[in-house]
Amino acid sequence: MNAYSLMRPTTVALLIALNGLAACSSVERSRSLSDNRVSARTIALQVCSNCHGQQGISTSPNFPHLAAQPPAYLEAQLRAFKNHGRADPAGFEYMWGLSSRLSDEQIAGLSTYYSDQPAPVGHSSDAAREQRGKLIFSSGISGGGVPACATCHGIHGEGMATFPRLAGQHADYVSKQLTLFQRTDTRPDGAAMRMVAHSLTREDISALALYVESIQPDHLSK
Amino acid sequence: MNIANTFGILRIRAHYLAGLLLAQLLFNSPVAHALPAFARQTGQNCVACHAGGQFPELTSYGRLFKMTGYTIGNRAIPLSAMGIASYTKSASPTDDPTFAKDAVALFQTGSVFLAGKLSENIGIFAQATYNNYDSQNPDTGKWQGKWGSDNFELRYADRFIDFNRDLIFGLALNNNPSLADPWNSAPAWMQYVPTQFGVTGPDAAPVVSQLGAQTAGVAGYVFLNQTLYAEVAGYQTANGAWSFLSQGTKNVDQVKLQGTNPYLRLALSHDWGPHSAMVGVMAMNARIYPDNLNPSGPTIHYRDRGIDAQYQYLLDPHAATIQLSYISESIDNGDVSGIASNASNHLKQLKLKGSYVYSARYGGSLSYFSTTGTSDTTLYPDAASNPDTRGWVPEIFWTPVQYLRVGAQYFSFKRYHGASSNYDGAGRNPSGNNTLFVYVWGAY
Repeated sequence: MNAYSLMRPTTVALLIALNGLAACSSVERSRSLSDNRVSARTIALQVCSNCHGQQGISTSPNFPHLAAQPPAYLEAQLRAFKNHGRADPAGFEYMWGLSSRLSDEQIAGLSTYYSDQPAPVGHSSDAAREQRGKLIFSSGISGGGVPACATCHGIHGEGMATFPRLAGQHADYVSKQLTLFQRTDTRPDGAAMRMVAHSLTREDISALALYVESIQPDHLSK
Repeated sequence: MNIANTFGILRIRAHYLAGLLLAQLLFNSPVAHALPAFARQTGQNCVACHAGGQFPELTSYGRLFKMTGYTIGNRAIPLSAMGIASYTKSASPTDDPTFAKDAVALFQTGSVFLAGKLSENIGIFAQATYNNYDSQNPDTGKWQGKWGSDNFELRYADRFIDFNRDLIFGLALNNNPSLADPWNSAPAWMQYVPTQFGVTGPDAAPVVSQLGAQTAGVAGYVFLNQTLYAEVAGYQTANGAWSFLSQGTKNVDQVKLQGTNPYLRLALSHDWGPHSAMVGVMAMNARIYPDNLNPSGPTIHYRDRGIDAQYQYLLDPHAATIQLSYISESIDNGDVSGIASNASNHLKQLKLKGSYVYSARYGGSLSYFSTTGTSDTTLYPDAASNPDTRGWVPEIFWTPVQYLRVGAQYFSFKRYHGASSNYDGAGRNPSGNNTLFVYVWGAY
């Protein structure tokens, strides 16, 4: 192929048409991540929804639910992705690039958008292990240096401030994050979790993850 | 650009204008990153769009990225390059040109891509490939390289999405039926690392899979609620104004279609947990002139009807995929004579593939292929006069970094040209074509 072949009249006409279409694009349906004019809601629906769902309820456990998370937590995480403070593999593989040029207003808007969405419904799959998880969640492991998760994450796992909501979260995601906290320094903003999780066994982590996934939102819990 | 300016510039020679317009599309972004292609555009790792990082197979997110016209993210310099070095060893090579580079390590092909977001709604995936072994000089026997058009796709896409509805729709100009398809069980994408040396599959194949870089088509598609995908397209010979889509394809090798030929695709997709499944159907009718050098007179009428399915399990660090494709082709020779002995023929192609990748680094796959059909002494000159070719392809690969894959495939033939032994009548068995293919595939 030579360069001239790309410059035929048809190509020229095509490029003129494309330039025309380019001028017609709508900021309301933009998938740009570097345009301050694009609203947080548009970014959430056009881009974030591909993995996290339109209302922050993700289908794949590879991606966490964002619905009803405390806005301060979401904002802190987006900033940590943007400034590369959160360096876990899933974080840098998926989120560093997407967040790199979001404005402060867009980050705040995304945090508000997801925190306003209805919380995920809990899923129960293994009652016995969930019971074991509930014990650790509510009371910690005495003698093991593991405090009760409820102390920071709320009695119903609803989260508060920069402590994330755990209720209804994918068990696989929770399990992977606990393992990350325990074994790596890739989430320095969660350094406290390294101490909290250091003596959890693999079975403890699994039980905890299953339990928090089973917690129903406040309005559905008895 | 206003109308007065447009008319003024139109007086300039066409290629200068095209260059200007292309430059405007490429460089008119607030900040341009001097980094190539999609991963740089989104800032994401390859695993975001490719299952287990094994290109070209797409994840659910990768499919949405494609269907929304490659427009997610920030405009960047949309350039990439790819190269394939390989080593092919056949069990029993002959003096056929197919085996010309048997047991020789070589740099086979290199590609450059113009790929990425051009505007809020327009994206491009255009590949030009240099084949280092395009042809042999008839006098010296020396191999000659050549650039040619490879996959080309220009998309316009839009998306209307809210809590009640998710509608993606778009238009694509491309040079291969099914190239626009987001699933990798489509004929254009259910592929292996390409090699022209050694025997790596049946000779006969449905026409829908044989039109790459020879045709020009426009496809319209919709994807509704991430469930229903529908695509309608029409293809004609890529010549005249559209010849840039078939650049590099020799005239004698370019299939000549009569008029516009329809292609239809429907698929149902569903994701649940870490699972993603799709079942689909495909149809193409094509009227093709029997002589590529003389596109006139009666045509051969091909009717391709296919079903395909794909299942993916993606939960880090595991990525597993199963793909199935079955295409039934009926060939009506009509008033064309001399091409086939029968007035009509059938061809049935089955492909199955299962693959697994661990931690986007270590992987393997096992494939089965079977192409069967009616016997025809003119179409299939070997002893059995039949296309029946079947076999297995095990593969292992390693992706040490996301831009590089090292792999080995072994093509094992159980039947070839209608026979399980002595297929050519001169004592050659299918296993004589068994081929080891080792490759290093880099892309950046």
